[in-house]
Amino acid sequence: MDSSSALSQPNFYDFLNRMRHPASADLVRAIKSFIVSFSFHATDADNDSRKLQDFLVTMETTIKEHPLWVHASHEELDSAIEGLEKYVMTKLFNRTFASSSEDVKADLDVSEKIRLLQHFIRPDHLDVPRVLHNEASWLFAAKELQKINTFKAPREKLLCIMNCCRIINNLLLNISMSSNYVPAGADDFLPVLIYVTIKANPPQLHSNLKFIQLFRRNSKLVSEVEYYLTNLISAETFITNINASSLSMEESEFEKNMQLAKLANEETAARHGSILQLSGDDALTTRRHGKEIHVNLEGCEYPFMESEAKDLTVEDVQQLLRLYQHVVTRYTRLTKALARLSLHEERLLHTMKDPASSTELKKEIEKWLHKGILD
Amino acid sequence: MGCSSSLPDRNAGRLGSLNSGNSMVTDSKNLRVKLVLLGDSGVGKSCIVLRFVRGQFDPTSKVTVGASFLSQTLALQDSTTVKFEIWDTAGQERYAALAPLYYRGAAVAVVVYDITSPESFVKAKYWVKELQKHASPDIIMALVGNKADLHENRSVSVQDAQDYAEKNGMFFIETSAKTANNINQLFEEIAKRLPRTTPSS
Repeated sequence: MDSSSALSQPNFYDFLNRMRHPASADLVRAIKSFIVSFSFHATDADNDSRKLQDFLVTMETTIKEHPLWVHASHEELDSAIEGLEKYVMTKLFNRTFASSSEDVKADLDVSEKIRLLQHFIRPDHLDVPRVLHNEASWLFAAKELQKINTFKAPREKLLCIMNCCRIINNLLLNISMSSNYVPAGADDFLPVLIYVTIKANPPQLHSNLKFIQLFRRNSKLVSEVEYYLTNLISAETFITNINASSLSMEESEFEKNMQLAKLANEETAARHGSILQLSGDDALTTRRHGKEIHVNLEGCEYPFMESEAKDLTVEDVQQLLRLYQHVVTRYTRLTKALARLSLHEERLLHTMKDPASSTELKKEIEKWLHKGILD
Repeated sequence: MGCSSSLPDRNAGRLGSLNSGNSMVTDSKNLRVKLVLLGDSGVGKSCIVLRFVRGQFDPTSKVTVGASFLSQTLALQDSTTVKFEIWDTAGQERYAALAPLYYRGAAVAVVVYDITSPESFVKAKYWVKELQKHASPDIIMALVGNKADLHENRSVSVQDAQDYAEKNGMFFIETSAKTANNINQLFEEIAKRLPRTTPSS
């Protein structure tokens, strides 16, 4: 993929360093007041998007003419705007990401639908040609999509999508070179992408797509990047609307499959509830300023996880209250600790499942601790 | 599939864009144009594009993979250039409803059918109607009868297609991605029809 714009690594630390320079005090002021200006208004996705896009355009001109960037190359200027986008959107993330109840609902709906489809959908239902079946490649592609909540910056979220598409394209290319298969372009690509998306069930798919469209710098959402983003949007649309006819299934068969999937998911959920007591393996080990802190969750029993309201007695209330207080106190403390590390809970949770992103996160945390946390 | 000779070979990695920078300069001399491909699966949409891109391949261009998005710059005689950004769409019936996501904002739509398949011609007419209803009113439409090399199996006559195209204000051409016949002409004709002052995108 030729999109150097999407794939090159702008140096975020360079941006932060320049912002610390006394000569950029005016820029810092502009950035801070822009961020603060968001708190004066209720969240409104379209309005917020317009404000951000305008701000980036204005700042681009300002930075171009700024003494600190007098001799800067095109790439350096571009990197500065990338840094700015990342900084601002990280700060505004909580206000702008999945900010409406419609978004939250759309996320849940699509994720729930995928959890059902996962039980019975096969590549053939989507017209994925036999020769392209390759579970290993699909798994890698799915892993890229699952990383999407590891990042807050629109550019980095978009990169996860581009990486996923690149893996699929590599698969298509390899197969067309190693066999007599004639590549069929989008006739191959889109079905595979939809299948991979169903396998991945990426977190908050709807909100992520919306967030990228609204807050990725407009001038960067063009050409190839725009094409592949459109493909994932169309995958989401297709999945949301999946019915018997879009899978060439009998209505009754589709309904039966969906019902069975629902039952299976309910059973799993029930089983999960009973084993939710945290085992020693789940104890969190982290390091701060070189000191090991062992957060031991062992010995904590949560005996009411399987209970139903009618089973509870008045005597239980005291114990329930004590457990509740324990859990809330612990959770509040953890959240605070995470906030001090500029870490997002979802990201940490995701990391627990994915060893690769866990190493990445560890490195990042160490870097932060060395440099001192931003602000 | 009618484009066996369009099979990527060992150094197929160079398929793709000639544009190595990320600046999208669009002025009166250098146009950037979004072109969307529509048509039934199996009519050879992507073969046409592979043929077009392969014909003028620049060995220094960056490695690009994928045949569903490709771009190619065409230098015209009046020393202007047109960079086509070609968006392929999935032709299977189940994906038809997604097409508007792709043709939105396109300056050109190329509707492809297979001259040996009457069904694909019916499908092409469906796309033309869809575009007339939902695409930008000044979109340039081309009707392309592919697999012209298989004329002994022809089931859509040139006359029928020509008449239909004329009636709908489209440019019509028959191509063969297999022999490369008329592939460049298709894109050159489109380039000629582009309004010179319109910013693409």
